[in-house]
Amino acid sequence: MQALESDSPLIVYIDIKSPYAFVAVAPTLRLESELGLAFDWRPLTLDIPSYLGSARKKAGKVVEAQRSPAQWNAVRYAYRDARRYAEMQGHILKGTEKIWDTRRINTAILWVNATARDRLPAFLNHVYPAFWRRELDVEDMSVVESCLQAAGAPVKGFAEYCETEGRQAHDDLQAQLHPAGIYGVPTYVFDGEILFGREHLPYVRWHLTGRNGPAPDIAYEVFEC
Amino acid sequence: MLSLFIDFKCPASYLAFDPTVALASHLGTRVDWHAFRSRQDRLPAERTDETRGETHRRVRAGQRRATHLKYAGLRGVEMVFRDDPGESDVALSALDCRLADPLSFVWHAFRAYWVEGADLNDAPTVLSLLEKTGNPVRRIELETAVASFDARQTQLEEDGIFITPTYRLADQMFVGREHLPLIERIMQKAVG
Repeated sequence: MQALESDSPLIVYIDIKSPYAFVAVAPTLRLESELGLAFDWRPLTLDIPSYLGSARKKAGKVVEAQRSPAQWNAVRYAYRDARRYAEMQGHILKGTEKIWDTRRINTAILWVNATARDRLPAFLNHVYPAFWRRELDVEDMSVVESCLQAAGAPVKGFAEYCETEGRQAHDDLQAQLHPAGIYGVPTYVFDGEILFGREHLPYVRWHLTGRNGPAPDIAYEVFEC
Repeated sequence: MLSLFIDFKCPASYLAFDPTVALASHLGTRVDWHAFRSRQDRLPAERTDETRGETHRRVRAGQRRATHLKYAGLRGVEMVFRDDPGESDVALSALDCRLADPLSFVWHAFRAYWVEGADLNDAPTVLSLLEKTGNPVRRIELETAVASFDARQTQLEEDGIFITPTYRLADQMFVGREHLPLIERIMQKAVG
């Protein structure tokens, strides 16, 4: 798998632990459905402490942190911002208690792509809202398997895939991302263009529908469920 | 009224100017311009010994610049990045002076930075810009505003502002012009 190449007209990079990816999933799935296309959804497993500091909470209180005041303001804002858009989509977004290791659940995206692509929307629609309601321990293999089952995707063979070729595919992809110019989620890739953030969806739509009329500016599309 | 915190050397603030003014006009309101010193760094050069965090920040900075230039190009907005972004505190301080036509000053200050390469941290340059835009400000008034700039910045940071452009609407904060559709909806609801 090459970071910038796909048979699909659009590659979408996501990470389950990103609140911004969470609020991007519904409008991106909607665009995919509207256009009758199959986007190439891929994992980008963020290494958050390396660029945004780290913190650990217990019972709602920060018990350990390596963040500057500006980083705290940015993180608090990111959650507040994602939360208001999540609520417009009919979802609950609770602040996370820790920075999760999402390699396993993200590898499941590759698994669903490979084994039951048509179940991917169901998988994302199951995992994201439940994770952000703090109902999923996505580091637990049995929980990831239950998500696959709930989405109607195959479960048998996933655990082995996750430890072998799935892990290899995941790790090989991650190693390509920075050199390719990809650093965050959601990121949209098409025809050599790399756009970070769902604010580019109007442009992506314009591109995928033939570039008719003037190109739109960035915007968060507002819709309510 | 739509409150917007900007920095003249911030590319996203510059690109927010037109759509924000257009929205305010559409809603029959005006923009209340506020100053906030943003952090603008030189584009980092790639190093062989950089940490993962440094790589992340370098890639992010390069992509962000490319994205700003892309949308500026699509909209026909002239935009020239400098190797050294410099500072713009003096021009930002002017926003705290009594201005007869702040809109004109803000637009010309943005153009002075992004098109003409002006030094917006230079008092004579800023005073000239103020004069040209119909905002005669005495030097002493500008110097007083500059002297209290750091204290205002600290207060804003304590209030949670951390970046530009930031819109403030009642008790809500919105970072970036991508929020304008939601801001429009909120403001339309507010007026019934």
